[in-house]
Amino acid sequence: MIAHATLLALLGTPSPAKIPGSYFGMPEQASTIAGDVDWMYDFITWLCIFFFVVIVGAMVYFVFKYRRRAHVADTGGPTHNTPLEVTWTVIPLILVIAIFYIGLKGYVHITTPPANSYEIEVIGQRWFWTFRYPNGAAETNILHVPVGRPVKLTMESDDVIHAMFIPAFRVKQDVVPGRRTELWFEATREGEFDLFCAEYCGTQHSQMIGKVIVYDEDEFEVVIEELARWIDKVPDEKLHLAGALMYNQCSSCHTLDGSDLIGPSFKETHELFKAAGTRQLIDGTTVAVDDDYLQQSILKPLDQIAKGYPSSMPPGIGTQLGDRKLQALVQFIIRLDEVAPDGNLIEVNRQDIVVEEVEAEEAE
Amino acid sequence: MTVSPAHAHEHPDFLRHHFNTPKQQFEAGKLGMWLFLATEVLLFGGLFVGYSVWRGNHPEMFKAGSIFLNTNLGAVNTAVLILSSITMAAAVTMAQRNKRGALMLFLSLTLAGAVTFLVIKYFEYTHKFHLGIYPGLKFYEKPAGDSHTLSGSLVNDAGGVDLVLVKGTGPLGQDVTVADTPEAEPTTVAPAAIGPAGLAQDALEPGDRPADDGHAEHLTHPLQDPHRPANVHMFFNIYYLMTGLHGVHVAAGIGVLTWLLIGAAKGRFSSAYFTPVDLGGLYWHVVDLIWIFLFPLFYLI
Amino acid sequence: MTTIDVTKPMPPEAGRPAEGTNYLNHTTGIKSWLLTMDHKRIGVMYLVSILTSFFLAGIFGLLIRTELIAPGHTIMDADAYNMMFTLHGAIMVFLVIIPSVPASLGNFVLPIMLGAKDVAFPRLNLFSYYLWVTGAIFAVAAIIFGGVDTGWTLYVPYSTTGTEMNGIIFLSMAVFVLGFSSIFTGLNFIVTIHRLRPPGMTWFKMPLFLWAIYATGIIQVMATPVIGITVLLLIVERAFGIGIFDASLGGDPILFQHFFWFYSHPAVYIMILPGMGIISELISVHSHKHIFGYRFIAFSSVAIALFGFIVWGHHMFVSSQSPLMNVLFSAITFSVSIPSAVKIFNWLATLYKGSISLNTPMLYALSFIFLFTIGGLTGLHLGTLATDIHLHDTYFVVAHFHYVMMGGAIIALIGGIHHWWPKITGRMYSEFWGRIACGLVFVGFNVTFFIQFVMGSKGMPRRYWDYTDKYMIYHVISTVGSYIMALGFFITAAYLIHSLFRGRKAPANPWGGRSLEWQCSSPPPAENFPEPPHVGDCYDFSVLEWDEEEQGYHWRHDIPHPVGEA
Repeated sequence: MIAHATLLALLGTPSPAKIPGSYFGMPEQASTIAGDVDWMYDFITWLCIFFFVVIVGAMVYFVFKYRRRAHVADTGGPTHNTPLEVTWTVIPLILVIAIFYIGLKGYVHITTPPANSYEIEVIGQRWFWTFRYPNGAAETNILHVPVGRPVKLTMESDDVIHAMFIPAFRVKQDVVPGRRTELWFEATREGEFDLFCAEYCGTQHSQMIGKVIVYDEDEFEVVIEELARWIDKVPDEKLHLAGALMYNQCSSCHTLDGSDLIGPSFKETHELFKAAGTRQLIDGTTVAVDDDYLQQSILKPLDQIAKGYPSSMPPGIGTQLGDRKLQALVQFIIRLDEVAPDGNLIEVNRQDIVVEEVEAEEAE
Repeated sequence: MTVSPAHAHEHPDFLRHHFNTPKQQFEAGKLGMWLFLATEVLLFGGLFVGYSVWRGNHPEMFKAGSIFLNTNLGAVNTAVLILSSITMAAAVTMAQRNKRGALMLFLSLTLAGAVTFLVIKYFEYTHKFHLGIYPGLKFYEKPAGDSHTLSGSLVNDAGGVDLVLVKGTGPLGQDVTVADTPEAEPTTVAPAAIGPAGLAQDALEPGDRPADDGHAEHLTHPLQDPHRPANVHMFFNIYYLMTGLHGVHVAAGIGVLTWLLIGAAKGRFSSAYFTPVDLGGLYWHVVDLIWIFLFPLFYLI
Repeated sequence: MTTIDVTKPMPPEAGRPAEGTNYLNHTTGIKSWLLTMDHKRIGVMYLVSILTSFFLAGIFGLLIRTELIAPGHTIMDADAYNMMFTLHGAIMVFLVIIPSVPASLGNFVLPIMLGAKDVAFPRLNLFSYYLWVTGAIFAVAAIIFGGVDTGWTLYVPYSTTGTEMNGIIFLSMAVFVLGFSSIFTGLNFIVTIHRLRPPGMTWFKMPLFLWAIYATGIIQVMATPVIGITVLLLIVERAFGIGIFDASLGGDPILFQHFFWFYSHPAVYIMILPGMGIISELISVHSHKHIFGYRFIAFSSVAIALFGFIVWGHHMFVSSQSPLMNVLFSAITFSVSIPSAVKIFNWLATLYKGSISLNTPMLYALSFIFLFTIGGLTGLHLGTLATDIHLHDTYFVVAHFHYVMMGGAIIALIGGIHHWWPKITGRMYSEFWGRIACGLVFVGFNVTFFIQFVMGSKGMPRRYWDYTDKYMIYHVISTVGSYIMALGFFITAAYLIHSLFRGRKAPANPWGGRSLEWQCSSPPPAENFPEPPHVGDCYDFSVLEWDEEEQGYHWRHDIPHPVGEA
């Protein structure tokens, strides 16, 4: 293995296909660039190990060999040697130029998305990701991508700086408010991979994580098609169950068991609704917790801030949902006692609530 | 405090115990002052770099904002500061020549220049406040002489939303009006292309904006200009920041000059010891020099 | 007030600990300390204050590691954790490491090494100290009034509109004030080195520690004003929302990062250069051999200072700065690694054919070479564009900068404290416990941080309060390591404090150093040198010999001791 890497280093021909993986703890490789990056990582690490062994080896050897045997004030010995010093200045210089060059080559590749990339819009908000597909489909915290096809993410932030980081793909890019940033990759394997926010963004920064799911091309088409249309196929009486499927968008701020996070617990809101109660707002007024209030507080969250809570809910959440999904969330809160009887969400499968006939009937 | 009596007789009074000669002390002081002035230049340097970046991103907001500055007052202030630099240089020469009366005269003239500068600056600032051109988001609250209400979202000619004001509580517990863009589509908040904010949305084609037809001249507040670019308030923020920090340095200069004047009155300076006058002069020249850059950057170009 | 007789230092050939007065006891009372203009007392006050801050921020570090021993809530919630790592970082950087070596040890030994009576501006020196105290008070105010959870990097827009915690304004004021403390210290040292060198002390006769302090001073003076104006803008933006860094109001959040790193990258060299200066002294003195390649080491300090100004963009490879900028910054970044490598090789060559005493200071110096080599080499991974994209903002970066900041700067500080402890306090500490503690710190440090390289490579992002189970084993190892390291530091504190009361009286020159501070008594007299001392080659130890009776070195009897100017 070592000889293999050394040989590659000497030949200078990175060939990711032939490399089994990183020797030094890099995660599984699942994108076209991962092999190249790992090759560079391994190359630099071997170089580091070489220099580390030389330096620390010499140090330990000298400390042992020239350890003090008596109280000598001065041992004489060489005080300088210009050719030697020039040598150990120039050799590292040549080496780092080489490292820079290979790093540069890899980087140019990483920053240039192929022209035929499949484009997905990404919105980073505290503390979740929203992915939007060309066909109108949207999903939170789960990024669906096809295998073997370049994917370009066009990313925006709604509040502070976030960073999209997919370790298995070896890609990372900050998502900066006021700018659109891009990131591209081409997955080489089907499977599920981690997706992190890598730029500190506040309380729930470590919860701003998700999954990348890689499918083969055909399955991918089916998945995003389903993603775009499933909500339309949910009958009205099951909308609250659809809301349950969307709750992961809300979960970093609103609990189901009555405990406080950033915003009021849905349980509290639900109980107020049932009791036809009112809620105190930050400006001193009260508002009746009714159907209209539920809708408005999702659509225009900053207009009616509940007393005791910060005004931190991004207004974009509600407006992105679309009418049907908004209704699903409202129904979810209204019928919370059915979907989360003891503060824990009941298990809901999308297949179980989607009724294909609905679409058929409308078609007729 | 640990000067031993044995040292005292070889040292002049002004020579501190750890220096060997007056020359060494003078040179140390001078080098120290130059280094300090280098840090001052770098402190302002950050703002000058910021100016370049903001201006590079939003040339139109500088164009639309700068017409509200009074070039005449700025020019008078520039002349005042240049004159005060000349009198300061004269003061240093008088100290070196042991001419105490002339030293006091020139220090007083310099001081008068510094005070005049701040007085004029005060009138410039208060006039703008009177018109409602405030720093920060208060800029958007109540432009004087504007009849129609400006609450709610401000849609500018370029089609972008300037901002939407939301009343709330500030970080210091004060009531503030904070900006938000809740209704705005992401495309109006974020530029359409990768690049600094607003590049795409704010860049007006020359034809979009009525050229300098003079109609802007009689406006008293930028918000009255329906063709104003987005974020025109930024120009004034940068203006207040840079001239404000400079003003603080002028005020500090007044303190230094007063201290020098008192010292001169007490006869502390002579051809053997004029270090404080010399160093104070260096500081004053740098403060002037910074204004020499600020004046064209804000008032002229 | 003292009389001239007692302020005179003991002649070096006497070699005995000074009896009578020294800088510690020539005046007494709390006011004689708080209002002192003696660089030695100011240095000691800095040392005590900085070590107190180090203790506090170290406790925060231990709390962080304890929280991370398992996923989810262990001992604190996410907000408390975010505040903890912010304070750990901010205090360690701004209150501890940046001032550490220059303001404490530098203040103490710089004028003595130079043969001067004090720094050029003693009043300014005291003022710098009180600026530091003011900064510390602001930092404490930030904790009390509102807290702060932005990370020490204070990135906008999180720090301006993102966080509910209002301590950010106090912390920014702390950074501003501490910045000016640092500027005045650097300014003072530059002027002192330029103007207060006694006759005979030419540039190339200065100890390498002074070259390092000089290079550091340049950075302090030239870079710090920029962080000053940056935090000023941050305060204005946070308090009044004027929008200079807010994209929705026409500002630019990336501009803040440029400003921030324009200072904070050179600040890395403010932290490490003085440490390197200490190591140059320690390696030479404790090997009893002339430093190898004096000029290369001296010039490499200046080269690091200058290159350090033009590499800040390597912190922003994934920030959305343009690819061309990334390429340029990456190229320049590599150039800064060369002078550091030169230093390492020269230190190794100094060991060659020496007579190496494994005293506690030397053990720290050797630890420094070991740890800094790892820290420096892993910088190659991060300077390389393609690999940095993966490693940026992961634990790999955390490990890298702890190897440099702590394995470098702090270890050098502790080594320097042990080296000059006899000079500062006039007491010897327990060598036995010193070696034990050094071993514990060394082992604990590596256990804590080496595993973080692995964790980071595997994709664990930094500043995560919670994490997925697959990273748990690494976190457990890291936390255990931090406890070992903490034990080492507590032992260090114990035997050092013990030595103050029970330690053997220190000889003037316990290690066999030749630079001028070893020609003063231990502790030095109030005015260091009544007359400008003789200046020789400060790495030529052949004029010294060991004295068994006093357990220290003194001037050889067969060589006449030169007095005054050479």
